[in-house]
Amino acid sequence: MKAHKLYRLVRQNLHRNRRNLVFSSVGIVVGICSFVFFLALGLGIRQTVASEIFPVEANRIQVVPRAAQFGTLAPGRRLDDQGLEQLRAIPGVRAVYPRQELAFLATASLDGRQISPAALELLSRVPGISRRAIDAVRSVRMWLEIIGEGIDPRLVAGDASAGEFHDVPDGEPIPVLLSQRMVEIYNASFAPARGLPRISNSLLPFLPSIPLALNHSYISRGGGGQVLRTRMKIVGLSHHAIMGGITMPLATARRLNRRFAGEQAASRYRAAVVEVDSSDRLAPVQEAVRALGYDIDLGEKRMAQSVGLLITLVTLGFTLISLIIVGLSAVSISHTFFMIIFERQKEIGLLRAVGATRSDIRAIILSEAVAVGSAGGLLGIGLGLLLCRGVDWLAVEVMPDFPFKPETFFAYPAWLFAGAIGFAVLFCALGAIFPAQRAASLDPARALTSR
Amino acid sequence: MIVADRVSREYGSGSGATRALDGVSLTIPAGAFVTVVGTSGSGKTTLLNILGGLDGDYRGSVRVTGRELRDLDDRQLSDYRRREVGFVFQHFNLLEHLDARQNVAISAMFGDQDLAAARRRAEQVLERVGLAGMLGRFPGELSGGQKQRVAIARALFSSPRLILADEPTGNLDSTTGAQIIELFESLNRQDGLTVVVVTHEEFLFRHTSLSLRLEDGKLAGEQAP
Repeated sequence: MKAHKLYRLVRQNLHRNRRNLVFSSVGIVVGICSFVFFLALGLGIRQTVASEIFPVEANRIQVVPRAAQFGTLAPGRRLDDQGLEQLRAIPGVRAVYPRQELAFLATASLDGRQISPAALELLSRVPGISRRAIDAVRSVRMWLEIIGEGIDPRLVAGDASAGEFHDVPDGEPIPVLLSQRMVEIYNASFAPARGLPRISNSLLPFLPSIPLALNHSYISRGGGGQVLRTRMKIVGLSHHAIMGGITMPLATARRLNRRFAGEQAASRYRAAVVEVDSSDRLAPVQEAVRALGYDIDLGEKRMAQSVGLLITLVTLGFTLISLIIVGLSAVSISHTFFMIIFERQKEIGLLRAVGATRSDIRAIILSEAVAVGSAGGLLGIGLGLLLCRGVDWLAVEVMPDFPFKPETFFAYPAWLFAGAIGFAVLFCALGAIFPAQRAASLDPARALTSR
Repeated sequence: MIVADRVSREYGSGSGATRALDGVSLTIPAGAFVTVVGTSGSGKTTLLNILGGLDGDYRGSVRVTGRELRDLDDRQLSDYRRREVGFVFQHFNLLEHLDARQNVAISAMFGDQDLAAARRRAEQVLERVGLAGMLGRFPGELSGGQKQRVAIARALFSSPRLILADEPTGNLDSTTGAQIIELFESLNRQDGLTVVVVTHEEFLFRHTSLSLRLEDGKLAGEQAP
């Protein structure tokens, strides 16, 4: 049977049975709507977690010195320049980016009274910064103990949007990066509660530098010796910056460690990010790293995997419920088609009498089911998208801000729509298989005499 | 030519089986006008269904233009029904959602025929049965006689050599029935079609070439004028 003729017959049949078919395809529409909604929600949240909260780089691992463990003979191994060279020599390693923590105490003072009127004036010109926010900045009084770390600038290339990220001579503000995650928490919780401006890349150029005291503590007496009073300038936000502290160029950290904590502190590293050629070489590189006496820091990756797994499980649960709804509606579709075929027995007999083969009859019924599935799937997708948009709208209009609140909670990859249509069509076709088989096997002579 | 040899057909099985046809043998020459008469349940419709390839569950042999119908597979049998046979039923069996032209051309949906050509052919046969002005009418808008003419036009659509009509006047008043019979006779005489009509009203047919009488599934009489 030619496709255009089949299309014409199917269209005519759908038109006259539209009431029954619309009624029985409600389940398909509801099921596909919830399928699209829950899957898009799961994918959207997963995307936010992967890109904002726990960004995981497939071809990078963090190597840390192995701590001496009770019961093991092998002592822990320090990560120094020699160790870095050994890591670089592992086949498949493309680059090694060391991280060195500040081995001395440091403090920062945020005192609004110390900010110059010119700096406040400059800040007030930033779009979105209200007079109230300027007043809040002026009234800030914070004295902080600071932890810090030096990082290889190549690892954060591109993150420093408000200035250069390299070592500077004494007297110039030290360029620092802040953790994107920390800033997100500040923006969503800390800043709104205190009327302070939110920190973003576009605000950074207008922020004044902050006084920093090195080799100094408000709590402890420190290591003694001279205190260096300098300033720091926030030049960017980075996923690689440490949480709850400042991240400065590695050369700066090394220089300051040498000055305040000695040569040994300047030549040891807290960790090193090892970048491999491709993610499939990760396993042998990890093995080689362990053979050198180092550990792999999987904390962040494990957390990302756990959260990802939880989201996947919840999404799968809801998707399964959606598919059960679609599956149940296939039973309804099946029932409807059995009813339609019962009503159309005589017509099927006539079609057989004028030359329709069994496979023609089967094709007509299955095509009607496919058409119902496609229409139900499209309608379900439309409703699902509307629901997603509605939730996003509610999130913007009604829900308070919270850390990592995304612009949208949903993600819509093309396969989601293809899958939705595919499932709708598949379940409708499955529902129509037995009715189609029954119609095709009708004895035409008996069908013609049925009442 | 149609040759049936000891054709039997049973419905059901075991002790509850009903024999609708019991060893019927007959020969229908090409171009004949045949009436099949008999009481209800005598096997008339069963015989017609077997000759038309609608019922293949019989014993014996049925050869149409030399081909044994039992040997044809589903596709070949469908082709046979579409190209070589035209069916006319007592209850017309028109599709209510299609107009007269679409009803007539319905078999074109299952063949290779172009739909525009099918439309022209449908108009042609509707004109032949006297319904030139009713091409776009739906069955609900037609009288019983007009419906049966549409059904006859549908049977003629594929230019078959054999028309099988099962009590075509059974649902019509006597005047309309006479007109339909006249139409069948004209198709036989003018167009040379072989016509086999199952009827209770044999007396209305004036130009039959063969009359078959069935009783309890058996051929009880065969009469040529």
